[in-house]
Amino acid sequence: MPVIEVKNVTKEYLDNGAVVTRALQGVDLTVEKGEFMALAGPSGSGKTTLLNLIGALDTVTSGSIRIEGREITGLPQRDLSDLRRDRIGFVFQAYNLVPVLTAAENAEYVLELQGVQPAERRRRVAELFTRMGMADLLDARPLKMSGGQQQRVAVARALASKPAIILADEPTANLDQKTGRALIELMREMNHEQGVTFVFSTHDPMVLEQADRIVRLVDGKIAADERKSGSALAAG
Amino acid sequence: MLTVLKIAWRSIWRNRRRTLISMSAVGFGLLLIIFYSGLMAGVLGDARNQLDNTGMGHVEITAEGWRAQRDVRASLAEPDAVLASLPLPPNTDAGWRIVSRALVTSARGAEGIELHGVDWAREATLSHHARTLLEGRFPADGDRQGLVLGEKLAARLKVGVGSRVRLMVQGTDGELAANLFRVRGIFASPSPAISKGRVLLGREAAARLLGSGAAGHQIVLQLDRAAAAETVAAAVRAELGAGYEVLSYGDMLPALRNMEELGDSVVLFAALFVYLLVGLGILNTMLMSVLERTREFGVLRAIGTRPGRVVAQVLGESFWIATLSAAAGLAAGLALTWYGSQHAIIDMSASVGEAYEVGGAVMSSALKTEFSVRAALQSTALVYLMALFTGLYPAWKVAKMPPAEALHSN
Repeated sequence: MPVIEVKNVTKEYLDNGAVVTRALQGVDLTVEKGEFMALAGPSGSGKTTLLNLIGALDTVTSGSIRIEGREITGLPQRDLSDLRRDRIGFVFQAYNLVPVLTAAENAEYVLELQGVQPAERRRRVAELFTRMGMADLLDARPLKMSGGQQQRVAVARALASKPAIILADEPTANLDQKTGRALIELMREMNHEQGVTFVFSTHDPMVLEQADRIVRLVDGKIAADERKSGSALAAG
Repeated sequence: MLTVLKIAWRSIWRNRRRTLISMSAVGFGLLLIIFYSGLMAGVLGDARNQLDNTGMGHVEITAEGWRAQRDVRASLAEPDAVLASLPLPPNTDAGWRIVSRALVTSARGAEGIELHGVDWAREATLSHHARTLLEGRFPADGDRQGLVLGEKLAARLKVGVGSRVRLMVQGTDGELAANLFRVRGIFASPSPAISKGRVLLGREAAARLLGSGAAGHQIVLQLDRAAAAETVAAAVRAELGAGYEVLSYGDMLPALRNMEELGDSVVLFAALFVYLLVGLGILNTMLMSVLERTREFGVLRAIGTRPGRVVAQVLGESFWIATLSAAAGLAAGLALTWYGSQHAIIDMSASVGEAYEVGGAVMSSALKTEFSVRAALQSTALVYLMALFTGLYPAWKVAKMPPAEALHSN
């Protein structure tokens, strides 16, 4: 069963009832479990919009989206919150850690929302940080960390709840090349180790190079769907 | 919930200066309300306490028509029986007097006065006269010749303790009656009218002089709580029925009642004004604080926080601001009100003496506050709730925002 199914999705932004922007036009996309996939395309092509719709952060104008076989269009806010909490992790371009929480507390936050007991939360997060090679950051506050460290903590936060999918919106855009590469390698490792599906929106050639599959968007439509076969990407 | 409060606690200190200014506004506003309410309660409470300085009761019962004419024949035939029949609250101090107009003369002068025939033992608690004696003492029971008079009257008659004076009245039979008495004491009164126009005489001696037998003119009730006067008066009125006039101190002293009503209105208006200012101040702070973190709340929504928990977190911030500032305002308000209850806040004694009279009500020239923990807690509860609920609007505003929109806000 596909982990993400997008069928004929359209997203229009309205102003006073009139369509101002047609961000997505009849998009169809299926993502299987464990894929490491990138959404590519120029600015304004609809990458972030599609990511937001898959992540249940926004609602479609028409069409349908299924996450692990469950139709999410039309679900109430509370159910969408629970879906994001349990099945979807997010990594944002601007890291977006909660600045008043330590790195460990940021990662524990979703576990607390899931009702995991404090001792178990701490154990799981400490283990995750150790596995990701950043045990020394557990008690650090975001403002004391570098951009790369913050983004690694953001990945840890996304992974902590053991989601089925991680959606990353331009995760390397604010990082230098070396740090960005290390981050993508970390995500790749987590993808292999835990079988988590990763979907990126990106311009970054280095991320595209690492992706197993690249879906190119142009003017709100899928222009190409390329899958890596060996070292080459095959058109889908 | 602990995490919500922990995040809220840390969040309020992100902008320490803004938080401290908000807290100061709430705390200072509460301090003002507590102090001002205490001051008004103190001034009016003092005026009520001064009633027994004048001998007036919180409730008085007379025969119908007596008050208008002060006719000695319009009397209560059996005041003791009337008193015994009344539904009085616990700790009520009650007694009755004979009251008549009279002429008092000495070797040096003559003055028209109001004669009060009193039970000396009862009068010692019903009025302040026994406690404000400048010279002499209250006559002993059985002293048929002793009387007590006001300071200014003594001066006008040029008499002192031990002097003889003559009292002349129109008796209940319409004939003039007179007798000689001896001054046993001279009392001070903040009321000039009482100081120069009141003589206290033993009740038996007064009855003999007037020929009034066992009858009396004025039943006086001093209540444990002056605020209950209207209720008690209504109950007594209902019990006694026609033929009696039952008045509360508010009925007898409209000026005091007006002051009480005005005081309540002023306190209410001032409190509402302060509540409004404090409320707007916190609303502004909370709105700024929340809206500048819209993206952060968007992130929290994105990672699975339900809208209700976002509301809880913003209210958590209101909770801390309200709790800290209300606690500080309450502590400062109580301290200041306590100090004001021990020391005069405003002392006008140099210009008006110890007390002055306004429309028959005696007011102390030293203004003190009334220290009431209960009243302070009531004010605090209102400010606290208002400060707490002021967070609702920004909380609702940010919680209902779609996560994608919140994430893209600046």
